[in-house]
Order: sequence, then C-alpha cells, then structure tokens
Amino acid sequence: MTMAPEETETEVPEGHVKLIVDGEEVIAPKGELLIRTAERLGTVIPRFCDHPLLDPAGACRQCLVEVEMGGRPMPKPQASCTMTVADGMVVKTQRTSPVADKAQQGVMELLLINHPLDCPVCDKGGECPLQNQAMAHGRASSRFVDTKRTFPKPLPISSQVLLDRERCVLCQRCTRFSAQIAGDPFIELLERGVHQQVGTAETAAVFSGTPAPEPSDMASKTSSGAPFQSYFSGNTIQICPVGALTSAAYRFRSRPFDLVSSPSVCEHCSSGCAERTDFRRGKVMRRLAGDDPDVNEEWICDKGRFAFRYAAASDRIRKPLVRDAKTGELVETSWTEALRVAADALSKARDARGAAVLTGGRLTVEDAYAYSKFARIALRTNDIDFRARAHSAEELDFLAGVVGTTPDHVSFAAIERAPTVLCVAIEPEDEAPIVFLRLRKAALKHSTKVVHVGQWTTSSVRKTNGELLACEPGGEAAALDGIAQHAKDLDAGLAEAGAVILLGERAAEVVGLFSAVQRLAERTGAKVAWIPRRAGERGALEAGAAPTLLPGGAAVSDADARAALESAWRLDAGVLPSSPGRDTTGILWAAATGDLDALVVGGIDPDDLPDPALARKALAAAGFVLSMEMRPSAVTEHADVVLPIATVDEKSGRFLNWEGRPRPFTVTLEGTNALPDCRVLDTLAVEMDADLFTQTPQASFADFERAVSAGRSVVRETNGSGTAEHSRPHAGESNGNGKLKLATWRQLIDEGSLQAGEPHLAGTARTAVVRLSAATARDHGIEPGEHATVSTERGELTLPAEIADLPDGVVWVPARSPVSIRTALGVGHGGAVSLSGGTA
Amino acid sequence: MSTADPVTPVLTKRWLSPNSWRLSVYEQLEGYTAVKKALSKPPEQIVALVKDAGLRGRGGAGFPAGVKWSFMPQNEEKRHYLVINADEGEPGTCKDIPLMMADPHSLIEGCVIAAYAMRSHHCFIYVRGEVLHCIRRLHAAVREAYDAGYLGKDILGSGFDLDITVHAGAGAYICGEETALLDSLEGRRGQPRLKPPFPAAAGLYAAPTTVNNVETIATVPFIVNGGSDWFREMGTEKSPGPKIFSISGHVERPGQYEAPLGTTLRELLELAGGMKDGVPLKFWTPGGSSTPMFTAEHLDVPLDFEGAAEAGSMLGTTAVMVFNETVSVPWAVMKWTQFYEHESCGKCTPCREGTYWLAQVLERMVEGKGTEEDIDTLLDVCDNILGRSFCALGDGAVSPITSGIQYFRDEFLALCETNKSKQSESALVGAQA
Amino acid sequence: MGMFDPLKGFGVTFSTMFKKVVTEQYPEDYYPTAPRYHGRHQLNRHPDGLEKCVGCELCAWACPADAIFVEGGDNTEEARYSPGERYGLDYQINYLRCIGCGLCIEACPTRSLTMVNFYELADDDRQKLIYTKEDLMAPLLPGMEQPPHPMRLGESEQDYYVHGPELARGRGVPSGETVETSVEEAIQ
Repeated sequence: MTMAPEETETEVPEGHVKLIVDGEEVIAPKGELLIRTAERLGTVIPRFCDHPLLDPAGACRQCLVEVEMGGRPMPKPQASCTMTVADGMVVKTQRTSPVADKAQQGVMELLLINHPLDCPVCDKGGECPLQNQAMAHGRASSRFVDTKRTFPKPLPISSQVLLDRERCVLCQRCTRFSAQIAGDPFIELLERGVHQQVGTAETAAVFSGTPAPEPSDMASKTSSGAPFQSYFSGNTIQICPVGALTSAAYRFRSRPFDLVSSPSVCEHCSSGCAERTDFRRGKVMRRLAGDDPDVNEEWICDKGRFAFRYAAASDRIRKPLVRDAKTGELVETSWTEALRVAADALSKARDARGAAVLTGGRLTVEDAYAYSKFARIALRTNDIDFRARAHSAEELDFLAGVVGTTPDHVSFAAIERAPTVLCVAIEPEDEAPIVFLRLRKAALKHSTKVVHVGQWTTSSVRKTNGELLACEPGGEAAALDGIAQHAKDLDAGLAEAGAVILLGERAAEVVGLFSAVQRLAERTGAKVAWIPRRAGERGALEAGAAPTLLPGGAAVSDADARAALESAWRLDAGVLPSSPGRDTTGILWAAATGDLDALVVGGIDPDDLPDPALARKALAAAGFVLSMEMRPSAVTEHADVVLPIATVDEKSGRFLNWEGRPRPFTVTLEGTNALPDCRVLDTLAVEMDADLFTQTPQASFADFERAVSAGRSVVRETNGSGTAEHSRPHAGESNGNGKLKLATWRQLIDEGSLQAGEPHLAGTARTAVVRLSAATARDHGIEPGEHATVSTERGELTLPAEIADLPDGVVWVPARSPVSIRTALGVGHGGAVSLSGGTA
Repeated sequence: MSTADPVTPVLTKRWLSPNSWRLSVYEQLEGYTAVKKALSKPPEQIVALVKDAGLRGRGGAGFPAGVKWSFMPQNEEKRHYLVINADEGEPGTCKDIPLMMADPHSLIEGCVIAAYAMRSHHCFIYVRGEVLHCIRRLHAAVREAYDAGYLGKDILGSGFDLDITVHAGAGAYICGEETALLDSLEGRRGQPRLKPPFPAAAGLYAAPTTVNNVETIATVPFIVNGGSDWFREMGTEKSPGPKIFSISGHVERPGQYEAPLGTTLRELLELAGGMKDGVPLKFWTPGGSSTPMFTAEHLDVPLDFEGAAEAGSMLGTTAVMVFNETVSVPWAVMKWTQFYEHESCGKCTPCREGTYWLAQVLERMVEGKGTEEDIDTLLDVCDNILGRSFCALGDGAVSPITSGIQYFRDEFLALCETNKSKQSESALVGAQA
Repeated sequence: MGMFDPLKGFGVTFSTMFKKVVTEQYPEDYYPTAPRYHGRHQLNRHPDGLEKCVGCELCAWACPADAIFVEGGDNTEEARYSPGERYGLDYQINYLRCIGCGLCIEACPTRSLTMVNFYELADDDRQKLIYTKEDLMAPLLPGMEQPPHPMRLGESEQDYYVHGPELARGRGVPSGETVETSVEEAIQ
C-alpha cells in the first residue's frame, strides 16, 4: 500500500480551482459560490436570501466572510452567497475570522431590531432559520430600546397565503421565486428603506391580456389589491426563512415537535413529486416539497401541497357497506359479509354475461396490478380499463409502445437539456405543473425553444417564452403534419439531438393525432413522451389494466405472451381470456344495454368520463356494482357493495411517473386499519376461488415483476387495434350541431374529488371563463366582460366572456367550471357548440 | 456667483456670459470645436487621450475615466450605452445642476465625444427629478443641438450617429448609485444591482454601459481641445485637472469655485471671503455628507483624492459644507442620519435597519435622553454597517457619525451628562416623596 | 434478648401517647399547602375575561413527561378568545403523567399557565384525569366576561400586555377586587 506523501500537490481537475477555506485546502468547481464550498467542508455560513435554486441576491448580508485574493485581503467582508470561488483565494468564515463573526453577529442584531416578538404565536417557531441562526450567530441580548417598525397583520395576499410584514426580513426569496421559477410575479417589493415590504399589485393586471379578476370573483378579498394568484404560491411559504408567509391551511395547527415527518409521493399528477408529509395524532397536518433533483427539485404545486384533506374528511367510508334489499340503503356490515355478497354476485355475473373493471387513474402500480389480475383470473375477462377520461382505440395502440419506457427515454433532465420541446395537446401548467417548471427553466436558463400546439396563448406558452402553433381543436394532427411545410425552423429544431415532443391526455380526443405524432417523431427523430394527467395512469398501463394489454405490455391476443403469463401465474394453460376487452366506453355501453352483469369500479367520477350520462345509466342498469371507494361518490350511489380502501397516506406502494420512474412510498399513517385495493381484491378473489397473491403491496409488486419478466421472454407482437370491435362512437362527441368548435381542458385547481375539504386552495383556482376571439365575440354580440352562453342539444353553460387570441370560431371553456363540461354539454375537446350572449 | 477670481476657470469660464446656455453663445466661446477634432480621430485615440490626461471621475469615487471607457467592448455586437449620472442628490453637492443650467452644451459636447470614444449611439442623461428647471433647460439644449446637427444621424458629416435622451428621476437618492440608476432608467424600482456583471459587461438593458458623472463628461471637450499636458498642468500628479468646489454654509460668499485639485480649504475660504461674520470654523465636510467631516485642524489638507483620503476622509463630490461654532455636531449628524434613513433603498439589512436604529438613537440623544452607552452602541452599529452594506450608501451613512464622535465626542457626552443629571434629580425627588 | 425488652417496646408506645399527634386526618381535615406548592394547573384570563393562552405549545414543548397537549386556533372577528391572532383551541393536561415539575409554568410566555395549590388529583377513571381546557380555565372574576367576545381593554394585544390591569380599573373594577386570576385571593 502506498500513501501519498503529504507534500504532494493535489491535482486540480479541469474546470476546478484550488482555494483555502478556514485553513483547509479545497478543490471546487469553477463558478461555485463560496457559501456552498464552505458547506461541503461542513461549515454552515448563516444565510437568508441565499437559495441554491434561485439567482443570488446578496440582500441580507448575513453570510459575510473574509476573503483574501492573490495574497491581498479584501478591504470589506464579502457576501459568500454572491462570490464565486477563484484560484488561490483564502477564505475565512466565522469559524476562523473574528471579523466575519462580528459582521454576522452585527447583521443578525440588525435583522432582529424590527422583528416582532412573535415566536410563541408564529407558525415558523421551532423550525425557523431566523430563530436557529439567531441562537447560533446572534447576541444573547438586544441593545435596541427604541420603537419597532410595525405593520397591520396578517395581510392575506391570496386565500391561501398570509403575509406578516413585520416578520419579513426582506430576503426576496418569495419575490425571486415568483418571478424566476414560477413566472407569476404577483408579489414584489414596495416602498423603500425600513418601510420596504412585500406586497401585491394595487390594481390592474400584472400581465396584459389577463385582467385581474373582478373583486367579486376573488376568493379572498385582500386589502392589498390583486391576489397572489399562482399555482406555486405554497413554495414561497416553504422557502420563507421567517414566518412572514404562512398558509391559511396550516395556520396554528401544530409545532414541529408535534409532527412526525415521513417522505411521501404526491398522488395528484403524473410528475410524481417527492413530498414530506407531516402528521400529528393520526391526521395529516401539512405537506411540504421534498428535495428530488431528478424530478421536482425543491418545488411542488399548490395542489400537491394543500390537497390532502379529503383523506381526513368526516364522510370517509371506514366500514364495508352493502345495499339493503328492503330499504335500498347502504348499511354498514362486516368485511366477511360484504366480501361474501360481492364474491357471490361477481361469480354469478362472470358465469352469466360477464363482469368488467374500471379502475380509475389514481392507483399505485401494486393496486392497478391487482385489478388487472383480478379481472383476468377472477372475472376471466379482458374488460378492464384505467382510462376514466376521454380515450380512443388509437390511444391504446400508441400506449402499447409507451409501456416499459424509462427515464432513459425522456426525463425531466432531458426536457431541461432539450434544444426544442413541442407540447402537443397539453397545457403543462394545468396538467403537469412540475413539467411546466422544467420547461420554464429550460427556456430561461438553456434557451430551449418551446412550441405549443394549442388554441391560444395560454400562461404556459407565455411563461415558457413559448411559441404558439395555433390550430382548431381537433386540427392538431393536421397542424403537426403541416410542420414540415409551414414551420421549417421548428422541423429543423425537432431534428436536433435531444428534441422532445410532449403529448397530453387530450390527444385521445383528436382523431389521428397519435399517428401524426409518431410520423413526426419518426421523420425528425424527436423523442415522444406521454404525460397523462393522473398519477396512476402510467403505472396502470404498465400493470396491464387495459383491455388489450397484459401486465408488461404484451398484447392479450399474443398467445405466447399469454402462455408465459399463465406459467408465471401458475395457471392452467389456456385459461387466460384471449379476446381483447372493451374499453371504458365499451364497458359502460355494454353495461347500459345489458351486455354486462356486473361492474367493479375504483376511484371514478362519472363527470370525468366521455359521456357522464351513459356512465350513470350504466351504473344504474348494471345488475351488480362493486365500488372500491374512500368517500361517498356518484358511483357509491349506485353501488350494491362498497368496500372502503386506503388513501395514499395509509398504504405503501409506488406510482410510476410519466417518465416511467418508480416513485415508491411507505405507509405514513400507521394503524388506521385501512386496506389497500390490492389486499381487498386479493381477499375478494379468494372468496371467488382465485389466488391473486397480492395480499400486501410488497407481495403484489413482487408478483408484478414476475409477470413482467415472464412477458419479456416472449417476442412482443406488434399490436393490432384490438378494441375496434367493441368501441362505440364517443357518444357525446357528435351530437353538437353548433357552428363553433370547443377547446377545453381541466385546470389544475377545480372541483376534483381529491381537492375536497380545502377551501383555501379552492380560492386560488383560476376563474372559469369562456375564452373566444374578438371577432367571434363580435359576431355573437358579446361584449368583453359580459357573460357568454355555450350550448349544445344537451344543455348550456354560462360564464363570463374573455377575449383571447383563439382562432375565430373556437371557444375555450375549462373542463370543470365547476360543473363538468361533459355533463353540461355532452361534448369534449373538438366538439361542436353554439354560442350566444348570456346573462349572469 | 462669486466675484473673486476663480483660480482656474475652465468648466466655469462661460458661466458668467449672458445667456451662456444658448447654443449661439456656446459656439462663440469655442463651443463644439472639440467635437470636430474628436470625430476626426479614431475612438481609441480619444480613450488614450483621456487616459493620458488622468481624468478621474468627478462623481465621488475618483475612478480614472479613461480606464472605465476602455472596459467597454471594442466590437459592436450589442448596443453600447453611455449614461450620464446627473442625479445629484448628495447633501451639500450642487455642482452638476449649476453646470447644466449655465453650460448644458459642454455636457452635450462631452457626451458626443465620449459616446464616440465608446462606440455608443445612444446616451441617456438621468437628471434628478426634483430639478425641473434644469431638466427643461437640458431638453432645450438637446433640441438645439439636434437642430444644429451636433446630435442625430451623421453628426457633422462624420458618419457617427448619436441620440441623447434626457430622463427625469423619480426622487430617490439611491438612484445616484450607478446600477440603481440603471434599474430606474429601465423602469424598475431603483435598487443597486449585484456586481459582477459590471455595467461595462451588462448594464442598461443588459448591454455594455458606461455611467459617468456630469462634470467628468463636461471636462472631456476641454481635454480634447487643450491636450493632456495642458490638463496635467493643473492639480496634482495623481489627481490632475480643475474641479468645481461647491462651498456652502457659514462663509461670506458661498458658491461654486473652480480650482485645481489639491487646493486647501484655507485657500478656498479666502476665495469665499472667509467665515461668515468672523465666527470661527468648527467642522466641515470635504465632499458632501457621506465623507467623514474635518475640523479646523484640517484647513491645510490638500483637497485631492489622495490628500483627503490620507487625512481620513474622502474627496467625494467636493461639496464643501462649512459649519461655524454655533452648530451642534450631534444635531447636524442627526439631520444627516435622518436623511440616510429616509433614502436607504431597503435592499440590504445593514443599511435598512442600521440607519433606522442610528436615527432613533441620535434623535433620542439630541432630545437629551441619551446615555453614555448609546455612544458606544452608535459606534458599534456603525462598525456593523460600514463595509457590510450592499452599496456605498451604508458606508456614507455612518461617516458623519463616526467622524463626528471621533472629533466631538465631548459634545455627545455632554448631551448624555445633562440627561444623567436630570435622571438623578428625578430619582431624588422620587425618594423624597 | 433481656426479659424487660418487650416492656421497653411498650414504653415507646406509652410515651408517644402523650406527644402531639402528627397524623393528618385527611380527608376530614384539609390542611393548606405551602403557598408555592405545585398543584393543579390553571389557565389565566385577562382582566376582561379573554384567555391569556395563545396556544403556543411552549408548555407542551417544555414538559419532560409529555403530559400536555395543545392545539392553536385562529381568532376571528366573529369569535375572539384571546387578544391577538392566536388562541389555545384545545388544551389538555394528563395528570396521570404530570410530575408537577413546573417547567411548563416557566415556559409560558404570557403567564397564562400557572399552578394553584389544589392537590386532589386522584381518580378511579383514567379518562377523568385528562383535564381539558374547561377544567383548567380560571373562574371569571368580577368584570370578566366569558369569551368569545371582542377586545374590551384596548385596540391590540399590546394594550393587554403592557397595561391590562390599569385599563381594567379604568373600566370600573373597584380597587378592592383583583383583576388577576393568578393571585392568591382570586384562587380562594
């Protein structure tokens, strides 16, 4: 063994520099800030304004250190959060420099002179960087005996965020976050000197084109003008180094020492953000963003942060319910009884005209797999679909190619590095907020060109410095085909290495779009990523909760794949159903017309389905409906048996995010006795004389992996369109007789069932409006600011009208406003509607 | 205007002519002759000339102007900007505004030459918003210059284009700081920017920018006409050239006195007719309130950049404020500190909170409610602000306090003493009751 | 063992018969404790009846036996329980765990939590030994009003903390009556 002699000069790698920090020689990459170099050495320099993901500000002056350059000491202490490392630099932090220590203590004392003695009533108390650093780097007593500067407090700057200006140390983290990261500069510094404060715009719009909401529409009337309306406002609360920004939801709920923190994964969208869930006495108190540089960095959207109260709602179903034959009411019963009733009915249905499964899009991989296996073994059918939304057979064919892709294909990092990103049928800010943040980062930091195929210049387009490739709703496929001719620079951009096409759930509503995307991708070499809106969709796809696909993605029509799966599942050869199943609409149609006897339904809201009326009819008509639910819903209204299941906090499992990245999480709330879907289905299957081996999420996942690896040994057939024979025309889509085309998608914060019980979050939702072009408005006699009525034969919807740069003859309405557009109008994206001036 | 002969009337030589601000008068008095010379030379030569002349910035910091100009990129990939800092707000300073009132064309001519030297085609003059009369005169002068072809496209047939925009500030002292000025010019709140990048790399609208003081730029035409050797005849080796000294306060004839750098206060007082009514001098500032004060001991300190620094102060803007013995130092310091508290932009902690605290302590002291510990607290808080703040405003805010206590500690102590005796009296009264 | 030894033993008994009895006839006789005896806790009130507790949980934090549970709440214009923004929505002390150390008293930033001398903290039901806010709140003294009610003594909590008692006198509480629920007269 050879030891390097001590005198040996340490090699300085390319792109690095050598400097001395507190007498210790250290090699640091060029451009690194001193504060981080010191941190790597274990010296934490106190700071407030510094944040690794925000541009340096140098405002708080708390991180002062002594610096010597080229043998000459700099005359003043330097802010280590703004100074980058340089070769031969000698840095002395508070550990070795009395000057730096004195400077830090001095700044701390100055920060505290106007800070109120609010610690006992402040939400940040106990986890407050100001408290902690004042203890570590401050004076024991105050010399300030004069009058403190005061402000009225608290000031609500949105229905969710409260501002206490007295506590603010003006580090600008929140304003910089809003401006740089979120692109919602609704808060800014106002006034000067000691009266400087964070505030919102007094009047008018921050952005041209989006006028401030009418005061009457504001969820929270603030005394400070236009509210801080951002999907990412919660992050400012988390990065505030004092208690100046607090959330209405968590206000005074608990102290850090009360809380048990557990890492968790967001169950809302398909980004799969890392989170931290803090609970107290069996109840979740708050959620914070976790730090995962590969996925969400340190940010999450407000939905992920605040929408968790549904799990603690008072109407949670905790015990199985069976419909009493006499009264027609659901009554609580034992698990044994409920399972027996369900098993008997399902067995009978299976042996008669069959039973089908609708899983919903919010399942973990383990649960989705259990549904998939349950359908095939216990119900002996391929009638299973995870798509509780508009869907198409074409989509299924496309999805067969998505199965098995991993982050190596397209990842968040790939989006950030991409030279060009084409967003097709997706509104990133509403449907995948973290993807939106990455797109914005890519556009701002790496000059990525972002092009959106859509109908109008939405905030996603604007904030990603994007370009709009405008087309009629339904005309997206033609627009993509026209890129080669009409947008040569975009075509060239997509041909560059690393270019990415992002495809959203709305693509299923546009005929021919999937094939157009594939044509474009093949021609240019750009990679395609499918970004569904719900957290469970990607995992359910992988688990085979689809009518034409087996777990692992092989086609159900593939005999070899079926045989491999039969052996993996230790079944007799040939027992797996071979004919492709029906898709969601097919299943509902069959149930409504008496082709199916029973339905097993997971977390589904009929209002999300392509035809809510059909869904309601099917639920009512089906001989037996088993609902696996957390809370009473439109499905439990029709259910014969309701089996309670666990929320994400109460179970373990994993989501697959849109990248194909597993996002595993463990049980947060132990001892609730709530059972995950996979466990319930396993027991139910046993009652039906079938073994799923999905007793626990762990067992389920192990079995899933076995099934997938079995499938992998078989050469996969190219997928034929299997659902064709079953699919019905989408009931709602053709019945509009209007002349206008409808564009629509769901906004991030709306009436979704997982957002229940959180009024403060609901208050930050964007106002529902009808958007239309100036010419369309003029043609229909609608003045801006008036109401407009959108109608079909099915019904009508009246909302305030707003002018936007839509193509003429197109109107945009949010998919929930709050009523579901499909329930109200019976049409979706691309549907035909009529328009008239309406009254409020 | 003074009646005594200024020592070196260069910048001020036209000031006493009738209608000196008119283009016709300016042209009669060899105006716009330098620009003709300059435009016939390559830009590098102008930069070299200014470097040779040793012209140092007249805004306070004294950075060599030629060196500053040479930081500007030589290519013209991005637009270059020349910004004139005419946001004269330093207490006691009143040289730029009279200059722009009396001789605006010298500034405009300087702008053309400087912009040509830096390959800039757009120059902004950021004038303090409160001096409306000056803004109007400047606007008129710029209009005249455009009409006469000294501005606009193809100036004097040289092929060089320059536009000048006169912009009024909104009343913030901090906008005299060059990066805050740029922010304000861009339409944002005026707060100093993080450096680097320095304005020469990314200044106004992220383009290479040079910010110069009015007096600096107005000096340039004289250097072009007179040459660097002529310029160096005046002043000292390291601080050459003439300088406008703005003498205010308790002197017989306050006003603008142009004298070579290195002149002493004793000489300046002679020019200004001595102390008013013969009341003896108590203290004075060499360059505005942000420069540590001097006392009668410093009458013979040569007022150039080096001399002032050596004596423990700074030359600043050469705004000489003279105070006689009737003025209380703690009171004067309190007034200055109130100014800084009011003008602190709020960006950084030391300046924002420190000036707030200092002002309160000083107000308390002047009211006679201070204690001896307060003096130590003042000094310690000053120490915590000096060199810790984001820009120089914080440094400037503490200099009157530290220098005031340094030279006149007894006066502060006396205020505390009266407080002490008051307190002990009341204690006795309480005991008797 | 000598033959008189048993008698010696009786001698002790005999001589004790003529000494002062030290046995306390509890519960027939109730002896007062030392004034600073650590008995049951009390949650004090401001002179107008508003609660002093701000729900800060510092008592719970200080408690070495984890006997205290607190949850804060938000005062609103409609329902105000304490001056300022925050009040103690839920307050429980588990006397099965409390060791009477008094650290909670020291931790309390508003002097809301104090101890009275009451020591009869025994029961045959565990549930009954978890004292809730209703059990712990100090009784209403003259001039006090059961919250929720608006601030009667001033515009802000500052007025309450700086000169609450004087303001209460100003509102007509006679000088003979106490306005502090924590003082001895009030407790008796």
